[in-house]
Amino acid sequence: MRAYLAGGLAAVAFTASPAFADTAEAEWAPATFELDNGMEVVVLPDHRAPVVTHMVWYKVGAVDEDPGKSGIAHLFEHIMFKETDDLGPGEFDNIVSRLGGQNNAFTSWDYTAYYERVAKQHLEKMMELEAERMTDLIINDDPEGPFISERDVVKEERRQRIDNNPGVILQEQVMSALYQDHPYNITVIGKMEEVSALTPEDGLNFYRKWYTPSEAVLVVAGDVTPEDVRIMAENTYGQIEVTETEPPTRGWRPVEPLAETQLLTHSDPKVRQPNWQRWYLSTSYQEDKEMAYALDVALDVLGGGRTSRLYQALVEDQKIAVSASAGAWLSLHDTAPAILSASPSDGVSLDDLETAYMAVVADVLENGFTEEEVERSRNSLAASSIYQRDSQQSMANTYGSTLAIGGTVEDVLSYPDDIRAVTAEDAIAALRTVLGEDRNYIEAHLLPAEEEGDQ
Amino acid sequence: MRITVKPLFGAAAAAALLLAACETVPATDAALDDTGAAEAAPAEPAEMVVEVHEGDFATIQQFVTPGGVSVWLVEEPSIPILSLRMAWEQGEASDPEGLEGLTSALVYQMNEGAGDLDSLAFATRMEELNMSFGCGSDSETVYCSASMLTDNADEAMDLVALAMNEPRMDEGPFERFRREQLISLKTRETSQQYLARRALEQALMPDHPFARETSEESINALTPELALARKDEVMVKDGMFVTAVGAMSPQELAPLIDEAVAGLPATSDETPIEDVDLRDPLEAPLVVDLPQPQSLVIFVGKGPARDDPDFFPAYVLNYTFGGGGFESRLMKDLRVEKGLTYGVYTGLDTGDHLNFWQGGGSTKNESAGAFIEGLRTEMTDIAENGVTEQELEDAKAYLTGSYPLSFDSNSKIAGNLMSVRLEDLGIDYLDRRNALVEAVTLEDVNRIAAEYLQPDNFTYIVVGQPEGIEETASLPDPEDEEISLDDAGDQEEHNSEETEAFPDPDHG
Repeated sequence: MRAYLAGGLAAVAFTASPAFADTAEAEWAPATFELDNGMEVVVLPDHRAPVVTHMVWYKVGAVDEDPGKSGIAHLFEHIMFKETDDLGPGEFDNIVSRLGGQNNAFTSWDYTAYYERVAKQHLEKMMELEAERMTDLIINDDPEGPFISERDVVKEERRQRIDNNPGVILQEQVMSALYQDHPYNITVIGKMEEVSALTPEDGLNFYRKWYTPSEAVLVVAGDVTPEDVRIMAENTYGQIEVTETEPPTRGWRPVEPLAETQLLTHSDPKVRQPNWQRWYLSTSYQEDKEMAYALDVALDVLGGGRTSRLYQALVEDQKIAVSASAGAWLSLHDTAPAILSASPSDGVSLDDLETAYMAVVADVLENGFTEEEVERSRNSLAASSIYQRDSQQSMANTYGSTLAIGGTVEDVLSYPDDIRAVTAEDAIAALRTVLGEDRNYIEAHLLPAEEEGDQ
Repeated sequence: MRITVKPLFGAAAAAALLLAACETVPATDAALDDTGAAEAAPAEPAEMVVEVHEGDFATIQQFVTPGGVSVWLVEEPSIPILSLRMAWEQGEASDPEGLEGLTSALVYQMNEGAGDLDSLAFATRMEELNMSFGCGSDSETVYCSASMLTDNADEAMDLVALAMNEPRMDEGPFERFRREQLISLKTRETSQQYLARRALEQALMPDHPFARETSEESINALTPELALARKDEVMVKDGMFVTAVGAMSPQELAPLIDEAVAGLPATSDETPIEDVDLRDPLEAPLVVDLPQPQSLVIFVGKGPARDDPDFFPAYVLNYTFGGGGFESRLMKDLRVEKGLTYGVYTGLDTGDHLNFWQGGGSTKNESAGAFIEGLRTEMTDIAENGVTEQELEDAKAYLTGSYPLSFDSNSKIAGNLMSVRLEDLGIDYLDRRNALVEAVTLEDVNRIAAEYLQPDNFTYIVVGQPEGIEETASLPDPEDEEISLDDAGDQEEHNSEETEAFPDPDHG
């Protein structure tokens, strides 16, 4: 529905993965298979309650948009709720709701996902509905019709998520500077003027190119068995014939190193608390798994929470900042940003904050981490995959987002062991690679209007 | 409870009954009263009576620990984690005059060091145990929650006990709380949700404790000693509620809880709070200027109390009116038909002392007038003509059919059980609830629509730089005409984001 994931949200939410370590885990073990038409299926059993989470992940996102058509992946996702050969306007939502189901969808740079949460006896009906709109969507081309009003809805969504929020406006500018020749340089929801010009025909072209079973992953989490899911999936999705034999090429590409360091500032009368950030290019789980896991641990120790080096130095000891953190959106497919961030105490300049912040970073890069802090971080990250099992949706999201960008079930399953294998040396080496003296970065200052400092 | 600007979104609607604020007087659990042993020493694990309530959504084991604590436990052996909740029915609204922020200070400090562990050592210990523990508050409630792995639950509960019994209230974290609060006094001045809520409180309940807020003076007056004294007023054994879900039996859990609360006082004097008598609605929209391209519009009118016979008809009606996501009339008209908004939602808010019907949505400044006009048109229609049989049937089908979705995780179940306890709905509520929805008639719903949903029953607040609003209102009391930003207040839960954007509309 119409939501989209800014990189940050997507990345942070999906880093942890489940562990199936030792005892009595067989009941929770995922099963995978593929339908004849190429659609991948993942089943994640959880028999605690008689409900299921049903998701279809399409291997298409904002990276796949043609030049000048930014926002089509997301707007099209909205259009998927409109009308099909067998379902009148609004009927999709009405059927799901009348069955007590909740449904929604979201779009990111790397994928698009649709889901329904429903009592388990309605699972096959959900599959029928999703299969129907995978093949038989109708896009109304009335110039004053539902495509156009939905475009207005998306423009309101953009105002709500981005244009009303000075910090997000600055983030949009930073991504644009960090990814000059890569599609991550445009926010998923698209540029306002390009969204305004999207047409029903753009929607139809996008649908025909990308929405096909071989480019989709089905994830079912909840009170089901793999056998049940297989039968239902073959009855529904399995009936869809493949017309496109050659899968379309994704818009992913190597990210060029940043040519120069830049400072971006954004001033706004709504800003009452300044913020300082530095954005570096790092890596991703897909690009370099070992380094990405090492970076996960390193950034957690450096700036992951109350016990982190940055928080203890800047907030607790020096009291120069009210917040200080570090993180990265490593679940993006292509090279992800690593972000250093802090907000100053009253009366502290961003320059002084930066000096203090980078002194902590320099100390770590020079002297490394202790074994204790690295071990604690590894264990926390690994344990997060046990806690994640409490949520069907979170489990389904992890598997779906991993598979949709080319990862495997094994990647998810081995996460706790892989993260536990990271040594203090690995962690510091990854951090030195990303934050080294020779690396360029985008620095971003969010300022109140009084301290006008536009570039 | 405090007016919440955040609309009741579609996905939350299923759980709305459970999530609504506390209701009526503190629960008088038969079991708790029967023991009369709140101070009994937990010496020998005396015989503990466990009542088992088997239901469609959860099997609840109800018992009173030897130490006198009333617990609802759902055993869930298939996942090695334990979710634990504790709650007390006193909150921020009973902070002493001039010490607004005191309860927030208390709950902030509860995981900032205890016994011989300072703040860093306490946080480090939580990481070593892979557990979490923290407390929060709203205007009428203080609550704590903990999550832990069952493998080391004994050690995790030792740490919880240390925090509950010997919090340090060290100067370092206390001054950090004060710094954060003083910054939030500034940042809230440009938070649209805060500005909208503040305007509503000033318009509809200016003299009630719910409209009191933190100020520089009140924050600077807080001390660790005052926070410790506040703890002994709020966190007492009598009237304490505990819910737990996880791989643990009553016999295993009871001594861990008794250890956690061993040092709490038995009782304290409660500060009574008067019920809110909402003032008459403003006659025109009240505009709060904020430089941004999109306006937030919220609207609030009277709503039925949780124990009012009108409650369930209103709850069912709300789905069709504005609570049902894409199935609601407001969404169909203002979003799908007119493209005026990304989302518009309504919900019922109930509490011990305040009940209201609220809604909200955002639209570009240029269409703010049209948006409010659209709201009023839909209200007039539903008030005059009611809803159809089909709409009523659809609402009941969703509200009953989606109820199981609220019970598919340990943490959801623990939270929902706590809401049932705080609202005093009874241990059999989960299994009675759908029948209460089914019993609602078209006549009931249409009577409620005519009574509550007249457009002039609502006060409209617009934050932004709206256009197309011909007549605007100002606040009733001349001296309050300027919305005073400096002594407005926002009690943020520990770690919550001050600058949270308008929450994403959810679907369904």
